[in-house]
Amino acid sequence: MYDSVILRSVSRLMLPILLLLSVFMLLRGHNLPGGGFIGGLVASCAVILQMVAFGPTFARRVLPANYLAMAAVGVIFAASWGLPALLGGQPFLTALWLPEPIPGVGKIGTPVLFDVGVFLTVIGVTTQIALLLSEEPLLFPMERGPARDEGAPRA
Amino acid sequence: MLASIVLITLAAAPLGLLARRGPRPLVGWGLALLPAAIFALLLSQLPAVAGEAHITQAIPWAPAMGVELRFTLDGLSLLFGLVISGIGALIFGYAGHYMQSDPGLGRFFVYLILFMGAMLGLVLAGNVLTMFLFWELTSVTSYLLIGYKHDYPDARRGAQQSLLITAGGGLALLVGLLLLGEAARRAGVPPGEAYTFEAIIGAGEAIKAGPLYAPAMILVFLGAFTKSAQFPFHFWLPGAMQAPTPASAFLHSATMVKAGIYLLARLAPGLGGTPLWSGTLVLVGGFTFAFGALVATRKLDIKALLAYTTLSMLGGLVMLIGLGGKYAAEALAVNILAHALYKSALFMIAGIIDHETGTRDLNRLGGLRRFMPGTAAFTALALLSQMGIPVFFGFVGKEIMIEAALQSPLDAPWRYAALAAIVVGAVGYIVAAWRLFKGAFLGQPSPDVLQHHVFDPHLGMLAAPAVPAALSLLLPLGLLPLVSQLLAPAASAVYGKELELELALWHGLNVALGVSAAAILGGALLARFERRLAALPSPLPAWADGARLFDRLTDAMLAGATAFTAAIQAGQLRRYILYTTAAFLCAVGIPLAIYGAASAIPITPDPQLQPYEVFAAALIPVAIVATIRARSRVGAIIAVGVVGAMVSLFFILFSAPDLALTQLLIEVLSTVFLLLVFSVLPARFEILSSPWARARDAAMAALVGLLMTGLVLATAGSDAFGSIAPYFLENSLEKGKGHNVVNVILVDFRGFDTLGEITVLLTALLGIYGLLRMRRASPPPPAPSPSRGEGGQKEGA
Repeated sequence: MYDSVILRSVSRLMLPILLLLSVFMLLRGHNLPGGGFIGGLVASCAVILQMVAFGPTFARRVLPANYLAMAAVGVIFAASWGLPALLGGQPFLTALWLPEPIPGVGKIGTPVLFDVGVFLTVIGVTTQIALLLSEEPLLFPMERGPARDEGAPRA
Repeated sequence: MLASIVLITLAAAPLGLLARRGPRPLVGWGLALLPAAIFALLLSQLPAVAGEAHITQAIPWAPAMGVELRFTLDGLSLLFGLVISGIGALIFGYAGHYMQSDPGLGRFFVYLILFMGAMLGLVLAGNVLTMFLFWELTSVTSYLLIGYKHDYPDARRGAQQSLLITAGGGLALLVGLLLLGEAARRAGVPPGEAYTFEAIIGAGEAIKAGPLYAPAMILVFLGAFTKSAQFPFHFWLPGAMQAPTPASAFLHSATMVKAGIYLLARLAPGLGGTPLWSGTLVLVGGFTFAFGALVATRKLDIKALLAYTTLSMLGGLVMLIGLGGKYAAEALAVNILAHALYKSALFMIAGIIDHETGTRDLNRLGGLRRFMPGTAAFTALALLSQMGIPVFFGFVGKEIMIEAALQSPLDAPWRYAALAAIVVGAVGYIVAAWRLFKGAFLGQPSPDVLQHHVFDPHLGMLAAPAVPAALSLLLPLGLLPLVSQLLAPAASAVYGKELELELALWHGLNVALGVSAAAILGGALLARFERRLAALPSPLPAWADGARLFDRLTDAMLAGATAFTAAIQAGQLRRYILYTTAAFLCAVGIPLAIYGAASAIPITPDPQLQPYEVFAAALIPVAIVATIRARSRVGAIIAVGVVGAMVSLFFILFSAPDLALTQLLIEVLSTVFLLLVFSVLPARFEILSSPWARARDAAMAALVGLLMTGLVLATAGSDAFGSIAPYFLENSLEKGKGHNVVNVILVDFRGFDTLGEITVLLTALLGIYGLLRMRRASPPPPAPSPSRGEGGQKEGA
């Protein structure tokens, strides 16, 4: 955590922009550079930026999410979109698409939803690792406890 | 129907838990309805498998690889299926009585039902892969059954030995079966069918002539011999007597140990008859036959005595398969049934004696006939069948076995060796049977017997051994035509051609009868001196005990593994990296140096090379040197970041924006992670490692770098598979409905890979979570510890 006015102001401003950008990256991925993996990394960058500026306790409150569960849900969500094809007698994970694109979102099919699962897993894994490290008392013995989220400078 | 039998049985396993509540004998016999229903169902199929006919059912499993769950019912499967379900029904009822006061009975029944399902799957399997699946399942479930009394070290040891030996043999078997399938494929069988028994047997002549025959058969023999307790793998069977008696009676009389026999008999019509086949089977089987019978005459524990006669009979069956010919096929079918009947009865009686008197030691028993007249009568029936006394079913089996040895197509020395083994075995059986009966039922009651209030068990318990014991007498007396009808399809399946089977008690005065009579006389004579024979010193030295040798072997392996682990898992990150890279260098570098050099593309200067490309490329080594030479940690992190940034620049230059984006984001995140971890270490590096260590690490790093370069060049030059890139480019929009080919590959074409990758991510997270969080339960160690800082500095330098 770095007690810097500039960093803190900028990261507050950047948070919604980065989160929007991550969803944008996720959705446009099928036709333009982007996708679940990149989108997920952008989203976790958004949270990790808060962590660097304000500390892990604050960063955990940015999104109302349990990142460990998010990673697990992502894998299950992605895998579950392989199941519809099984019902139709096709191999697991065969792509199925809606016939018409949805305005503003684009074509919707199981690969896009699968990508959402990837997105969730990447956010969950990356963010949780960063938060775990910064909450680690062996590394940061002075930063434990809820009182420090708004950030007294580290000893 | 066949698949349903197996799968429903496996799915019914939780029903065993009913035994946790309710009247146990009732639950036992109630559960016995399941095998009884299977028995009836299979018996109704008898007309369908007459002659060489069979029914088959296939369920696609991995169709892309031509793997299917295939079940076939023919005469041989039917015989085994009937034995398994018939004996199984009796065992279930018996176990409810025998373990009436055992709190774990529910668990025991679950294992028992699972085992029975696995066994049924094994004998009904229509291809070698399905069979192997159930083969392994029987190993696992029998491990659970043998180790059921896991509080006892002997039970654990017996279970472990049986698992290690049968599963080790199973590994050999798997390779052998795959080789057989491959040999069948080479013989012109379509790949989708190459693993079916029909195809392997059908292509038998071609397989026997091919180069894969010998290695495949040796591996299959290993699997069959370990499973069926043939010398020198026999010792796990006596050790497995630690199982509760119902399990011993089921596993070791009728089912698991006969799996090896089943497999050999199944393959015999196609692959048998070669010198390798006959020589190995007659030698190993014949020796085990005689050896087991002789050892049995010296045993004092009833179950151990029965275990040795069992492995002896298994040897006899293996020998019969090796002998080949019409009579051997018939003898095999008859003896499988005869042995299953009398041996299951004897095992269950051993359990009754143990249950009533608290001991199975023949020295501490005696005079039981007064207190347990019913048990004594049925024991006599079963033992007379085992001894091969006329009019008992065992006699029919022994007669036809001698006939098989005399009429075998093998050369005379083999035939006489087999005959000798049969005579030794028959004599041994008589002595062992007399020893058992005399020791337990005759003479004066021992103090142990008198102390207990001994009497015949509940009718429901006695009925279980009474049925097979009585059948040992009733079948030959009244039902031989019926038995012939049942066994003829089985014998036909082993023989490979349809044969007529006419069992009879009286074949006239012939050689077989003479040999049989001589064996009985000899046995009766020797039985008189049974005590003195048993008192003779063992011909084998003490160290030659297979179980003890095996224990030594496993202990040595464990000690070796512990030492190796201690050396490898030194607890220092730099050691791990060193070993990992060294292993990588050996495993990949050596084959690459040998085979990869030819396909490597030459490095030629690109005429369109742009100056900025040269600049970006040159910056990478500069940044690497800067990382190594950096004196401060932040400097090193920044220099590493430069390397990553230049790599993403290259991705952009070669039009891979997705990769560039990912690389950049990863670079940002790694920098954050590194800063997080390094922020608690001293700001500047200090050089603590010796010059030698640094030279070694530098050489290692250079070698890995060279290897990766070579790998890339060799891969780029390889055209073994052709490029898949055009396919992706052409089909991305049409089939994947996306313009971004990279992403379409990730989420659609190779979606399964991606699923695997995110699973790896999740697993890594769980590992890190465990490392950092699960430790919190213990009091926090003093931070920051000096040893960790030192380690980091050494590595950083």
